[in-house]
Amino acid sequence: MTHLDDETLAQWALDDHEPSPEATGHLTTCADCQGRLDELRHLADLSHDLPHLEVPPPEVWERIAAELDHEDGATRTTEPLAQQPSAVVVRTSRRALVLAASIAAILGLGAGVLGTRLIDKPTDTTTQAAIKLEPLEGKSGDGTADLVRVGTGAELRVTASGLPAPRGFYEVWLINQDGKRMVSLGVLSPGTVGTYQIPPDATGQGYRIVDISLEPDDGNPEHSHDSIIRGTLPT
Amino acid sequence: MTPTPADTETTWWLPLLRPLDLPTRGPATVRPVSTTDAGDPSAADIAKGFADGREESLAEAYRRWSGLVYTLALRSVNDRGDAEEITQQVFVSAWRGRTGFDPETGTLGSWLVGVARHRIADHHAARTRHRRNVEAVTPAPAVSSGDEDRLVDRVVLADELNRLDDPRRTILKLAFYEDRTYSQIAEQLDLPLGTVKSHVRRGLLYLRARLKEVTGDAS
Repeated sequence: MTHLDDETLAQWALDDHEPSPEATGHLTTCADCQGRLDELRHLADLSHDLPHLEVPPPEVWERIAAELDHEDGATRTTEPLAQQPSAVVVRTSRRALVLAASIAAILGLGAGVLGTRLIDKPTDTTTQAAIKLEPLEGKSGDGTADLVRVGTGAELRVTASGLPAPRGFYEVWLINQDGKRMVSLGVLSPGTVGTYQIPPDATGQGYRIVDISLEPDDGNPEHSHDSIIRGTLPT
Repeated sequence: MTPTPADTETTWWLPLLRPLDLPTRGPATVRPVSTTDAGDPSAADIAKGFADGREESLAEAYRRWSGLVYTLALRSVNDRGDAEEITQQVFVSAWRGRTGFDPETGTLGSWLVGVARHRIADHHAARTRHRRNVEAVTPAPAVSSGDEDRLVDRVVLADELNRLDDPRRTILKLAFYEDRTYSQIAEQLDLPLGTVKSHVRRGLLYLRARLKEVTGDAS
């Protein structure tokens, strides 16, 4: 008999029941296939024991940028152990400006944050839908949005990556398909998971379009009309 | 922001909706599902920029991998403050030591995981020394490397699972995090049973390939 293919072995590892007597027979004489099955079983075992990913609080990036900011032009290769506090940083060089802009993009500075928090607790939840957010024409970046039942409520968990790092901040909107209504869910820090509480029946009422816009830091709470990525939740 | 006092109820966004009703938007957004996927192009771009010393790439690398590094540290040291400090040290020292990273011979994710493991090991060693209240005369015993390997694998898998395209991502999350049966997943997502099984099977093989790329080993 020829070797067992990966898909057969993967199913075997996942289901733990034998595909056929022939396969079992082959396995007793083939160390290679047995090895691959063991490896996949180990992987399946690990996969049922995955941690929920957590994101560091925004201050961590601030401290990184501040620490690197204290360096002068040339990069040091040695590693001072002292931790630099984020407190007072004089930003003068171009690199400082770049880092500062990145901080603004990561922190979503200057905006009121409503109902935003970072995931840091495993709870009894059910993922009802998970969609990709795709770039609009001429834009770059992508993201994900998960609609999650938490107890009797609902949450939208949003991530984004590959967004440009401009001045301003990113804001998550839920747009109604009736084309008349939209709500702001809050600010999103790229690279983190933004969690927003939404009414349990929001999608049933037509609020299905998840939209992430780039907002200038001008104090105007309305949508900037500058949408970057977007996706539609299923009914 | 463009002030629009008179048209807050207008439908300026509607023309933008139509392309998104399509299931895919072209090759740029379609990721290969084969197990030989060499990696996310943007991850490769980040890696190149990082090696070239572009600050923007440091910020991108942080966005892409800080969750992985932080979760790894948090699960290993069980203290948020310490995990934050380790995360900071990882990115600062990775940036300062970026000349030691070669995008030709490995991925940035893999390299950062390696830096994180060293930092975490240093942390455990320092804590052990402190606890014993002796000078570091003897090398401090590391945390069991088997446990640490398993933890790294689990965090990397969680990170990679999160990056899968749908519906595979949702299917695998339901299967692995919520322990749903194939039939329950098929019913919940209104997909054929065979499709669900196939996604879990191929997802597992894909994760195996990703794990090998990041940790150099799948077991």
